[in-house]
Amino acid sequence: MELQRPPTDPARRLHPLTLIQKLIKSLPALLLGLLPFLGNDSGPSKVVLLVFLVLYGTVMVPVILIQYFRFRYWITEREVIIHSGVLTRRKRSIPIERIQNIVLERSLLPRLLGTARVKIETAGSKSAEGILEYVHVAEANRLRTVVQEWTATSDSVRGSTPEPHKETELFRMSLDRIFLSGAFRFSLIYIAIIFSGMQYLPDVFNLTPEDLVDWVLSGGVEEYTETARASPWLIGAVTGVMAILFGWTTGIVINVTKYYNFRLWLDGNKLHLRHGLFTVREGTIPLKRVQSLILRTNPPMRLFGWYRLELQTIGYDVEKQGYQVAVPFARLHEILALAPHIRPFTLPESFECVSPVSIRRTVVRYFMVFAVLLAVPVYFWQEALWGLLLLAPLYGLAVLQYRNHGYAIDADTVYIRRGVFQHYVWIVPSDRFQVFYTHDTFFQRRLGLRSVIIDTAGAGSFRFPYIVDLVAETAEQFTATLYARFQSHFMLGNHMDAEPKAVPGQ
Amino acid sequence: MQPLHPDIKSIWRLKSFLFFVALFAVVAAWAIMTMTSGGLIWRFGLLPGGIVLFGLSWTLVIPGLRYRFWRYDLRANELYLERGVWNRVRTIVPLRRIQHLDVSQDVLERNYELGRLIVHTAGTRSSSVTVPGLHYETAERLRDELRHYITEDAI
Repeated sequence: MELQRPPTDPARRLHPLTLIQKLIKSLPALLLGLLPFLGNDSGPSKVVLLVFLVLYGTVMVPVILIQYFRFRYWITEREVIIHSGVLTRRKRSIPIERIQNIVLERSLLPRLLGTARVKIETAGSKSAEGILEYVHVAEANRLRTVVQEWTATSDSVRGSTPEPHKETELFRMSLDRIFLSGAFRFSLIYIAIIFSGMQYLPDVFNLTPEDLVDWVLSGGVEEYTETARASPWLIGAVTGVMAILFGWTTGIVINVTKYYNFRLWLDGNKLHLRHGLFTVREGTIPLKRVQSLILRTNPPMRLFGWYRLELQTIGYDVEKQGYQVAVPFARLHEILALAPHIRPFTLPESFECVSPVSIRRTVVRYFMVFAVLLAVPVYFWQEALWGLLLLAPLYGLAVLQYRNHGYAIDADTVYIRRGVFQHYVWIVPSDRFQVFYTHDTFFQRRLGLRSVIIDTAGAGSFRFPYIVDLVAETAEQFTATLYARFQSHFMLGNHMDAEPKAVPGQ
Repeated sequence: MQPLHPDIKSIWRLKSFLFFVALFAVVAAWAIMTMTSGGLIWRFGLLPGGIVLFGLSWTLVIPGLRYRFWRYDLRANELYLERGVWNRVRTIVPLRRIQHLDVSQDVLERNYELGRLIVHTAGTRSSSVTVPGLHYETAERLRDELRHYITEDAI
């Protein structure tokens, strides 16, 4: 059967304004090259600067120009083709059927110039397979429409019924909600970055952190600094409060820039996301690519009843950017109301616990690590033995880990709960299982314990559906049940949207 | 449940032996280069001696144990694997999850007419599941049997 495909496209170039954008983007590199000259006390002589600029211009401008003229792309009947490269010429063809997602990114400059950066993501590779930097917004939208229509036609030819074209809004974030979410994103990392950046200050502005302090001390805040000098505890407390305030502010600023105008909506069988203040991100996730849902929170968020929903999807670089965030910050009931649109499930009332012997194993493990860490200090300084007192909170941590770890299973989904500081609930549909593992280390065998791993597609290498320390027989029975559910799903010809059928016991 | 071909023990021993010889060579070279700076007992006695002892016992004991605990079974709907001396792992690979299959053979394996079967799935940690130490013909036969199960389901 002949598919209706878009007619062959003429070869296209990027938007001409790309030249200007690339040039502007290359300027930070120029500044970095000039840094050693700027630091000189004598100051860079004008001649040196001029020579540098001319050199830079004669190298950079032709490079950008040649790159621009060497870059061509077009869409054929079944592929997106990109030719690029100056020294090594690359010809890349991406089959349209393998394209998972077309992402439009518009940071500040492209938005002023009416252009966009287009990322073409496929299932096969982790990073974007093709990047068009930059094209006109209309052209970006045209590309996306062409690809979407192609997928839609081929789907309907394959026999699945075409979805009625209707949009359902699933989630939208108000500005005050975004501010609130930022308050929970407390982060001190940026303080560290700013302070480490300070050591470059003297090079650029002839200013040292000491100068800053002197300026503050001699300035109008003298009264306060006198008091501070009188009591170092106060200064410590003030620094602490300042750090906390700063951590809060940065968290809020980050979340506002990232999630501004957050919108998640469903269009047929595709999820769409759109958010961002300076850089507007737009993404599409076909529902059939969703492998599992992850309900996340942490102790402060949980205390106030806030959660976030993430999706494990194929073709998304988990190691680099974490799981795809579908709902950044919401009440549990809001998430439970919208999540069934992505994949129906009922969160279980209660979870089964793993074997309590698990606590013992965790404590022994902590103790061993601790003993190694403590051995050296104790060798030099006997008093360090008091460090053993720290084992008490570690015992508490082990108990909490045990209490927070649990699993549950219903007709077609398995739920796994884990984590103390980062709390996860994995919601894995049985038709998404790939491979099943049970394993026991030497110590686990001695305690009669066994762990179960459910391998799925597109999971991270550190966080994945993992049940640690079940009683050995339970682990085997549970795995057998999981496997039976998986098989029966396909044997009975079930599909994702069909009613779950009774499962023969095993 | 099938055991692996016993010849795999020889291959594992040889590989382990070569590894420790290489390690020994590196340590010996380092010891000779830093000869002038003292600590001769440590550099020419304890460290190389330790490597020889550890290497010998590892080479003699571990391959046998690994062989003893390796089992595989091709069943109606799944490939089942069991392996591991220290960390014992049981794996169920549903046949319908197989994406593609490889049979491979390195120089040592060619000497013994052995090969390995590599089963690729879309799973994260199971993107390639390997069954080593099969007679080359067995590996090819398994691959041909499994080939029928590769489904067209796009992931």
